[in-house]
Order: sequence, then structure tokens, then C-alpha cells
Amino acid sequence: MSNSIIVCRCEEVTVENLEDAYHTGAITSRQIKMKTRATMGACQGRVCRNLVDLWMGNKNPLASKGVEQLSYRPPVRPITFGELAGEE
Amino acid sequence: MSKLRIVNHPLIKKGEQKRISFTFNGESLEGLEGEPIAAALLAHGIRILRRHEESGSNRGLYCAIGHCMECRVDVQGKGQVRACLTPIVEGMEVVEGKQLENKITGREAP
Amino acid sequence: MMEKQYTDVLIIGAGPAGLAAATNLFESGFKITILDEFPHPGGRLLGQFHEESDGSWWIGRQVASELVEMTKQPNISLQCGVSVYGLKQISEGWEVLSSVGTIETKYLLLATGAAEIPVPLEGWTLPGVMSIGAAQVLTNVHMVKPGDRGIIVGVNVLGLAISRELAVAGVDLAGIVLSPNNLFSGENANPVEAINLLMSLSHLAPSAWMRLGGSLAQKMKMGKWVSTFFPRQGMNVWDIPLLLKTTISSIQGKKSVESVVLADVNSSGQIIAGSEREEKVDFVALAGGLYPLAELAAVAGCSFLYLPELGGNIPLHNEQMKTPLSNLYVAGNITGVEGAQVAMAQGKLAARSIGNDAGLLKNGREKIAEAMDEVHQVRKTATIQFHPGIIAARKRVYEMYDSLQKESLTS
Ligand SMILES: Cc1cc2nc3c(=O)[nH]c(=O)nc-3n(C[C@H](O)[C@H](O)[C@H](O)COP(=O)(O)OP(=O)(O)OC[C@H]3O[C@@H](n4cnc5c(N)ncnc54)[C@H](O)[C@@H]3O)c2cc1C
Ligand code: FES
Repeated sequence: MSNSIIVCRCEEVTVENLEDAYHTGAITSRQIKMKTRATMGACQGRVCRNLVDLWMGNKNPLASKGVEQLSYRPPVRPITFGELAGEE
Repeated sequence: MSKLRIVNHPLIKKGEQKRISFTFNGESLEGLEGEPIAAALLAHGIRILRRHEESGSNRGLYCAIGHCMECRVDVQGKGQVRACLTPIVEGMEVVEGKQLENKITGREAP
Repeated sequence: MMEKQYTDVLIIGAGPAGLAAATNLFESGFKITILDEFPHPGGRLLGQFHEESDGSWWIGRQVASELVEMTKQPNISLQCGVSVYGLKQISEGWEVLSSVGTIETKYLLLATGAAEIPVPLEGWTLPGVMSIGAAQVLTNVHMVKPGDRGIIVGVNVLGLAISRELAVAGVDLAGIVLSPNNLFSGENANPVEAINLLMSLSHLAPSAWMRLGGSLAQKMKMGKWVSTFFPRQGMNVWDIPLLLKTTISSIQGKKSVESVVLADVNSSGQIIAGSEREEKVDFVALAGGLYPLAELAAVAGCSFLYLPELGGNIPLHNEQMKTPLSNLYVAGNITGVEGAQVAMAQGKLAARSIGNDAGLLKNGREKIAEAMDEVHQVRKTATIQFHPGIIAARKRVYEMYDSLQKESLTS
């Protein structure tokens, strides 16, 4: 597989970026996210979260599934500052 | 009628929709009232909705149901919206999502 | 300032689950609010249609408009084009943050459905590459073809069902090919697995696709691989070439999609050197499967279980559609990926649970048992099933819920 394939579309993180992060010590999905910004873009991981978890599981089957991968934070949809301030 | 519009579907019938006009990047276009921006543009063969903020790479509709955020465009008076969910209205002014400047890397806005 | 709204029951998602819940709850007299970010109500029902075993067509759009008709009650407010982006538990129920402001509700039902799993490959960010669901929505909901000629990537239930819908609408398809063989494709890149899947589902579906899968599988059982029986140029099903020995290696184009590079594979899904060829298309639809869209349940603080048979991580819930958090309910694909009829039955069940918990349902126990039974029946006879292990996986979820509830009672 070519390492130039983009995994996270929002942040344009490639397989190569994931590999690099892994080889410099990021060994769980969470650490990979922090290091590469994969899943941290505009869609909030809705598109690539599964891919990153799958990739991580292949690399390191011990990076336990479940516990840390469900770190969704609100807002889960883009909002304007106006909406945040409660304006129309 | 654009050749991508489906007019004689054997099973699905849609009610009559009014033709309205809107603009995309300043160009005046026709669309059907109530259809989302992305569908109206695709009917004209327009697929590029946005340039990636950093790399400037071309992006278009990907999920069509509001999940992926790839279709972000700017609508005059509304700000950034998802083109796959936002219906066109008469006179709407739509501009593609743009590559941004980056002061850290020194890249200027295109 | 936008005024805070108050409601008794808030339903997030106007798909089959959410709409069915509302229509089964309005007699309670509750003030019911349904929110959905799509401009039209109906959820993924809007784009679906399939042929029943008697040859008649089941048209999701019609089912949706019947449901919407039934929600036209003075105590039901259906609001489309409204996104929910957060929620929190308050003493009297839930506070929900949406693009039209804050809404306070006593009971909250999450019916947000499913989202798609992508199929990453070289060139997949080019405009013209989309998820298979996007091709469905464009074609069947907005009635604009995704392009002049396209290719479907991924041999699975959703990919096949939607390919047929595209063909019915007159969309020109170069074929259906296997997912690219890379770290992300898992079994989807393997031709034998693809056929096994068709085989495992062939008893369910009336359609020619599935029957084809069944007959191929029979041949394979006799110890031969597809190569013996399955021609390289594929087999036409409803005029769409099903290319079970072909994979895609990249998508090409300058500004948007212009072509794809296809290649032949051996029985384990490896590309046969020298078999690469270019196929002109202007759109590519990626069918990677579905997973429950449960982000709001996660924000609410619900516990999760990982069950691949149900599509991945699902919020813990019991058979009555209740989560361990008070006054929070789930229904539809958020609880596991299944067809729309199951989602409707689940919505009805959730409605009865809410009615019963509020003390408004006469003969509550029986009514709930009846609705649970209906879910079972619909599930058993569903014309589309996304995974053969659904029933067993569901049982595990309910057992887990019960054992966790017991634990928290004793601790
Ligand atoms: C793209 C796609 C195609 C499908 N095609 C088929 C098919 O052909 N045949 C089949 O049997 N099944 C199909 N399914 C499975 C489908 O999920 C079920 O058939 C059924 O529609 C599930 O019903 P539901 O009510 O649970 O969810 P849905 O029908 O998905 O409805 C959920 C609704 O919630 C809304 N929503 C979600 N999050 C938010 C939010 N934060 N704020 C506001 N609104 C929100 C969505 O806009 C959506 O309208 C498909 C699923 C997807 C995702
Ligand atoms: S195309 Fe995915 S959000 Fe619009």
C-alpha cells in the first residue's frame, strides 16, 4: 500500500504520518491523534475515527479497544459564535 | 435541463419545484427551490465546493448528509454552511470554501 | 437572545426510528419535539427502495411521508434543518443545545441513525469521490445523478443495494469492484470473503444479487474458487458488471475524478502484476459499511460496548431501549446497524417505554412485551440484514446491561 494515502481528510494526515508517529512512540489511538491531528479536524473524526482505530489495532493489538476511543466532545456540530452566545 | 437531472424515474416522483436563481463564485445559475446548494451545483457539473484551508486541494461533496464537513461553502449573510444540507433560495450568493493564509508558515491567501 | 424552549419528549433524528416513536407517543398528550438537521424529515428512508419477494416495490420515501403525515398533531413539533451539537443532564431531565437554541426536556430519545465507514485509497479526496450513501441521496432524494459514469467500490450489502437503485435511476456504472487491498480494507478486499458474505445473506433477500451470491457460493463449496466459474470480465446483474476478481488501486484526475486504475486479483486479494488498466469515470462511490452514529450518547456520558456485528461502538441499553442514564432512550441504528423496518419497530418500543416510565401507559408491561415481540418479528423477516450475527449480539448487549445494573445496585 502506498504510504501517501490520506487517512484523515480534514487534516490531510497520511499513512506515512501515522507510521512516523508510531515509530516515535505514539502507541495508542489517542496518542496518535494528539501527535498527528488525525480525527481532530472539522468532522471531528466522524469519517476517519474507525480507520485510525483499525490501523492502531493492527499495529498494536494491545492498544485496547473501547476505553479511550470514545472521547467525543461537544459541540458535535459546527456552531457560530452567535449561536454560542445564544443569538439568532 | 441539465443532463444530470433525473426526470423520468420509474419509481420516484417528486413534486414540481420552482426554478430560482442563485450565484456561485459570482456566476449566476439556475436551481430548483428547496434543493441543497451541492445538488444544484452538481446539476451544472460543478463539483469543486471548497479548497482545503491549508493545502488548497480541491474538495467536493463526500457524504451528502452533513457528517463530513467537506462541502463547506460561504453564503452571504449566513457564513459557513454545509452545502449538502443548506437549501438554495432565490438570490442566494454562494462562494466556495477558500484556502486560508497561514501566518506561521508564511503562506499568503491565494 | 433565543428563548429557551421546553418540551416533554425531545427526539433527535427524524428517521424511521424517531418518527415512529413520535407517532406512537402523541396520544400520551405529551408535548413532543423532533429535531433533524437534514432539510426534509425521513432520515435515510428518503433514499431507499427495494423489491419485495412478491415483486412489488417498497419505497422508503412513501413510508416516510406516511409517517410524517401521522406526526401532524397539535402536540408534535417537527423541526428540520436544526443541528444538535451538545446536551447535558439536569435534575429535571436533559438540556439540549441546538442551532435554534437551548431546549429543555424531561425525556430524551436519541435516534441519530448511522454513518458510513470510508474506504481510503490514493486519490479519494478528489471531488467526484463520495460515499455510496451520498450517491444514493443525490440520486434518490435530490434526483441529480452523481455523474455521467461511475464505479462502485466495495462488495457488501449496502453497496449492492444502492448499485441497483442507481441502475434503476439510469445512472451509468462501469461496475462494482472489490475494496482496495490495504491496511484498512480487512476482509472487504478478499474475493472469497465477498462471496461468503453474499452467501450468508442469500436466504434473506429476494433480489437477484443475493441469489447470485447463493449460487456462486454453492459452487465454491464444491472446492473450487471463483476463478473457475467467475469470468474476469465479471457477470452482469441488472446490467451492472459485478467484478469479483477486480480491485481498484487508485483514483486519478487533475481537478476532479477523471479515471480509476483497476487491477485483477488472485484468490487472496493480491494484485496480479501487469493487470492494471485505466477506466474512465467521473465519479467513484465508496461502500465501506455503516456504523452507529452515537456521538451524542457519548457526550451524554453513556457507557459503550464494542460489537462488530452491530457495526462498532454502541451505547449500552436494554431491550426496552433505555440507557443506564435516567430519562435517556435510544432507538434505530444508533443501537446497531439494521434496516429501516427494524428502526421503526424500535421507535415504537421506545415510545412505549417512555409512556410507561411516565406512568401514562395502561397495561404497560403487556404493551412493552408486545412491542418487543414486534421488533423480533420484523428483524427475523427483514429483507435487508447487514450482519448475520445481529440477534446474538443484541442479546449480549441486554445481558451486559442487566449485569451492570445489578452491580450498581449491590455496590
Ligand atoms: C447513507 C446510508 C444509506 C443507507 N441505505 C440503506 C438502504 O438502502 N437500505 C436499508 O435497509 N438501510 C439503509 N441504511 C441504514 C439506515 O440507517 C436504516 O435503514 C434506517 O434509516 C435507520 O433509521 P434511524 O431512524 O435509526 O436513522 P436515520 O434514518 O439515519 O435517521 C437519523 C436522523 O437523525 C438526524 N441526525 C443525526 N445526528 C443529528 C444531530 N446531531 N442533529 C440533528 N439531527 C441529527 C439525521 O439527519 C437523520 O435524518 C442506510 C444508512 C445510511 C447512513
Ligand atoms: S458532504 Fe459531508 S457534510 Fe456535506
